[in-house]
Amino acid sequence: MHDNPIDTSIYAAVTEAIQGEARRILSEGHVAAVVGYAAARRKGSAQPVVVTRADDAGKLIFSAACVNNLAVYLTKARKEIPKSGKIGIVVKGCDLKALVGLMGESQLKREELYLIGVPCAGVLASTIQPDTALTAGTIAPKCRECDAHLPTGCDFVPARQPVTPELEKHYSAEIARLEAMTPAERWAYWKGQFKKCIKCYACRQVCPFCFCEQCLCDRNKPQMVETTPRPAGNFAWHIVRAMHLAGRCAGCAECERVCPMDIPLNLLNRKMAKELKELYDYEAGFEVREKGPLATYDEKDDQSFIK
Amino acid sequence: MQLYISEKNLKALLDRLIADGMRVVAPRMDAGTPLYGPLTDSAGIVLDQLPRRSAKEAFFPLCEDIMSYEKQGRKVSLTDIDPAGFPETVLVGVRPCDAAAIPVLDAVFSWDYKDEFFLERRRKTTIVGLACTKADDACFCTAVGLSPANPKGSDLFLTPLEGGGYACETFTEKGEALVNANRELFAEPNGSTALPLAEPQTERFDLKKVKAWLDGHFEDPAWDSIAVRCVGCGACAFLCPACHCFDIVDEGTEKAGKRRKNWDACGFWKFTHHASGHNPRDLQPKRYRNRIMHKFKYYDDKFGQTLCSGCGRCIRFCPVGIDIAAIVSEISKK
Repeated sequence: MHDNPIDTSIYAAVTEAIQGEARRILSEGHVAAVVGYAAARRKGSAQPVVVTRADDAGKLIFSAACVNNLAVYLTKARKEIPKSGKIGIVVKGCDLKALVGLMGESQLKREELYLIGVPCAGVLASTIQPDTALTAGTIAPKCRECDAHLPTGCDFVPARQPVTPELEKHYSAEIARLEAMTPAERWAYWKGQFKKCIKCYACRQVCPFCFCEQCLCDRNKPQMVETTPRPAGNFAWHIVRAMHLAGRCAGCAECERVCPMDIPLNLLNRKMAKELKELYDYEAGFEVREKGPLATYDEKDDQSFIK
Repeated sequence: MQLYISEKNLKALLDRLIADGMRVVAPRMDAGTPLYGPLTDSAGIVLDQLPRRSAKEAFFPLCEDIMSYEKQGRKVSLTDIDPAGFPETVLVGVRPCDAAAIPVLDAVFSWDYKDEFFLERRRKTTIVGLACTKADDACFCTAVGLSPANPKGSDLFLTPLEGGGYACETFTEKGEALVNANRELFAEPNGSTALPLAEPQTERFDLKKVKAWLDGHFEDPAWDSIAVRCVGCGACAFLCPACHCFDIVDEGTEKAGKRRKNWDACGFWKFTHHASGHNPRDLQPKRYRNRIMHKFKYYDDKFGQTLCSGCGRCIRFCPVGIDIAAIVSEISKK
């Protein structure tokens, strides 16, 4: 069952379409740059690339190794990407949700972007060698419950239909498992996970929503969170992050993908998203909204917690 | 000294050392991740995969207390941590890339300032290396002049044999002492051939040419194209067996607290952020350039050594696929 292959045959045609469109918008001067994926040295691997010349559009690819959410390159935190003129960006459905959130938070303007959407059947899990075939066993956990195989509202989407078999859901099963634990068991579980944290901040650096120019956790006067990778500071850091992302994180799972210590960070984010859905019938990433539920007040909100 | 030890006897050796009160550090699973850590018994050892973090943490921990302070009334008392209290340790199952980086670190930790925290652990630790029989396409020890069977840094080196067990060779007095104290667990070589060694596929770098290019190209447009994708986390430096920058922080309250030494990384924007607000490495390419310069030029200038042993962790775990082997190989062709 885990060996069941997932059909990625459309990726060749998608690659060709992305290259054609990037070449066109660069040569016609619609955009100053296109942020996309290019093949890298390791067999089957891909890495983010910024293409500024139409002649380089042929470097762009799409494959199951194109795991990154490129939206992070459009945020204020990334000063290296040219910010003058319109920017083209290759987006999967999951990545697009982050862009939608960033527009809602006034970080990006739709008219400054040229969105090249990708019909996506899924990408590889972080622990898998990049040249591995995509199967029910090697697909990224987030792709198992994807509801955005075909991005909507883009400027260009190659006309291909991804084949998307029904897969066993990962996060809902894990959340159910953790919810069934006693608080002491759950504490022990997270303690074991956070103990591994080395404070490399890869989770923060790849997160499109961690665009603060100075993170609270980088401050030392006064120090809000211990910077030392010890239990107190590690817990504080991950809890602060989960709370700051509640109602904003749309589940690209980049934090979890890049964690070199295998901490299942997206579980925290999915649990927060579940709470937001239950309390406010709110889901992040579907439409541009100025304010999320945690930034608004409504008299109809549940107030039973005020005692 | 060349000997043979069976898998069973290797475990018996570890159990005996643990029972004798020796600290035995080896790769084992920690909440689902292979990491070096103290063993409670030999059953937990995991020798079939490269630990996620390198062996440097046995000498240079992720975080350690170096001093504590306490304030009583107007009196402040300071207490140093005494490295003499560090335990005798045997570090087992260290891959050649990890072991080779340790003597390279000796140079910087015993240079103008003798870092007793590092050096005392070095004196008290015996390193048992282990040859590699598999490599992936991120491995590149052979590209920096090492190999899957290079004993550099190991006091005792194990090579897996056809039919099980290990060929065991000692390289230092420490290694001999460990064998001699447990001689009955070792046997004379039994004539078995070694398992085929791993064969990393990356071609060998011309490190002289790399350095020559770096000498003349502090400013070069290549840095922008290489590092434009770098997001500025510390994953590469923290997983690296040779990166050794640290930060010192005081944590605690007004009344009492600790001074701690934590790993730091040149990829962080804050690394060179001055109190004035000025940052000489204001953009990420300048920070990434430092990583390459430090490994292949500055450390060579100062100590005549390369600060990279080709373990490939920074390649495997870079969030954005930055590949140091590809970058250095490119530089060596310029």
